[in-house]
Amino acid sequence: MEYFSHLLLNSGIFIILSVSLNLINGICGQFSLGHAGFWAVGAYTGAAYGVYLAPDFLPDFVNLFISCGIGFLTAALAGVLIGVPCLRLRGDYLAIATLGFGEIIRIIIMNMDTVGGPRGFTNIPLWSNLFWVYAWVAITILVIANILRGTHGRAIISIREDEIAADSMGIYTFKYKTMAFVLGAGFAGLAGSLFAHANQFLHPNGFTFMWSVIILLMIILGGLGSITGSIVGAVILTFLPEMLRFMGETISEWRMVIYAVLLILLMLMKPTGIFGKHEFNVLSFLAKFTGKKKEII
Amino acid sequence: METVLETKNITMKFGGLVAVDNFSMKLGKSDLVGIIGPNGAGKTTIFNMITGIYKPTEGDILLANENIVGKHVALITQKGIARTFQNIRLFKDLTVLDNIRIAGHYRTDYGLMANILRTKKFHQEEKRLKAEAIELLKIFKLDGKLNHLAKNLPYGEQRRLEIARALATKPDVLLLDEPAAGMNPNETADLTKLIRWVRDEFKIAILLIEHDMRLVMEVCERIYVVDHGELIAKGNPEEVQKNPKVIEAYLGTQDEKEGKE
Ligand SMILES: Nc1ncnc2c1ncn2[C@@H]1O[C@H](COP(=O)(O)OP(=O)(O)OP(=O)(O)O)[C@@H](O)[C@H]1O
Ligand SMILES: [Mg+2]
Repeated sequence: MEYFSHLLLNSGIFIILSVSLNLINGICGQFSLGHAGFWAVGAYTGAAYGVYLAPDFLPDFVNLFISCGIGFLTAALAGVLIGVPCLRLRGDYLAIATLGFGEIIRIIIMNMDTVGGPRGFTNIPLWSNLFWVYAWVAITILVIANILRGTHGRAIISIREDEIAADSMGIYTFKYKTMAFVLGAGFAGLAGSLFAHANQFLHPNGFTFMWSVIILLMIILGGLGSITGSIVGAVILTFLPEMLRFMGETISEWRMVIYAVLLILLMLMKPTGIFGKHEFNVLSFLAKFTGKKKEII
Repeated sequence: METVLETKNITMKFGGLVAVDNFSMKLGKSDLVGIIGPNGAGKTTIFNMITGIYKPTEGDILLANENIVGKHVALITQKGIARTFQNIRLFKDLTVLDNIRIAGHYRTDYGLMANILRTKKFHQEEKRLKAEAIELLKIFKLDGKLNHLAKNLPYGEQRRLEIARALATKPDVLLLDEPAAGMNPNETADLTKLIRWVRDEFKIAILLIEHDMRLVMEVCERIYVVDHGELIAKGNPEEVQKNPKVIEAYLGTQDEKEGKE
């Protein structure tokens, strides 16, 4: 049972990671490969707050809230530092720069003794639980979904659709690219803080480039641009390795190969991912049964 | 006549290639002016300089007497120049309604927090934006397709939507880059009427690049003819049609054209 709730908790954290990466890659169309870096920034700063600064008299959930805020803000700040110079560049440059950023963060942490360096960061207070993780999942989804259905979200999407046309419609594309990038980074940091206070232990090697790729796989699997897809992708890719583990040691070792095969199959059968750019919407789903068409904003 | 847009000796060089050479023109309030010329003459490049996509190598561009050279594309749009593109650039995977609402973005008055928290201001502004979009789409007979994806519209409707989207930025000057390209004669005839109607209704200046001579001669009050980046003639349709330089430029490329098609 505990094993299952641990998995559920992890999948919540990965939902936040994938939905936030989707904002940058799928919705704004900027190819970032550094999500694990922002995740690490949030995890370590959130954990550092828990280990060194958190006052004992505050209830755990308040401390968790503060820690999440710190994780969000520091990762968002890192997002500004990396995004502002790089988002002016086009396409591949951003991917390379963010990839480099992720690795640099890891190396910096490796060399910081106060957070354990290569030994790992221990004794992080256990504050996360299923309730708070999923509360943050809900908040993340709500915030991002709301942004998307307003003028800022439309500006962000227009960049993915056609940047020159977006500029020509009076949209400062650089501003909205930065907005998407920084918000995405911030939510990854928040997920990091939740993760730190669930695991109680962090190691720089837990935030390798591999994880950026896995989060990317989640959103591609679900369908770039679809929030619903990101959620489904995150759940599938957190539960799948565990199922493979049950099937035995060898299969588990071939995990990445199995991912690759799955992805190739998906790309062959449904290149736009499970959901394409569509969203599962309760209202329009119900409307299928009632015959009424409720308009979504 | 009050001048809204003026280019003064603008030149655009790409490496050794002079795409536009010393081009000057004036556009008065609610003028309807055409730019014609053979393929590769530099017409689109002129539009790209006016809208800020390219920065002219030399020369000034004045919008209501303000020099806009070097200004950001988005700012130039906000100051009142809107355009369509030669190869339609709609937001293809978005709905007709969203295409128009995006053009209304810079005039939308609520912040990110208001968006996230769905404040009263948010709802007011969204309501206004949608109402304005629908009103505009009615004119273009697209209000029946609000929730259709732009890419699923027939070609002629995509062209119309692109014009509507440009108008949704509330411009003083509208630049149309080959609006009739790919249209059948019926659609072109409708477009001719529409262009004139838009000018009269919105009281804006329209600058039009077009290869369809019937449309140009019928709708434009003045025409600039460019060839190899240079202005070779200007005047009203009759004058231009009779100009020997123009005839030569077009005859000269006639063989090339036939060779291509
Ligand atoms: N970004 C660029 N870099 C290099 N050369 C360019 C660029 N843009 C345009 N040109 C060149 O400038 C010249 C003018 O091109 P332009 O697109 O303005 O012609 P046009 O008059 O619009 O032609 P068409 O009727 O075929 O659309 C062409 O020789 C073109 O190859
Ligand atoms: Mg052209």
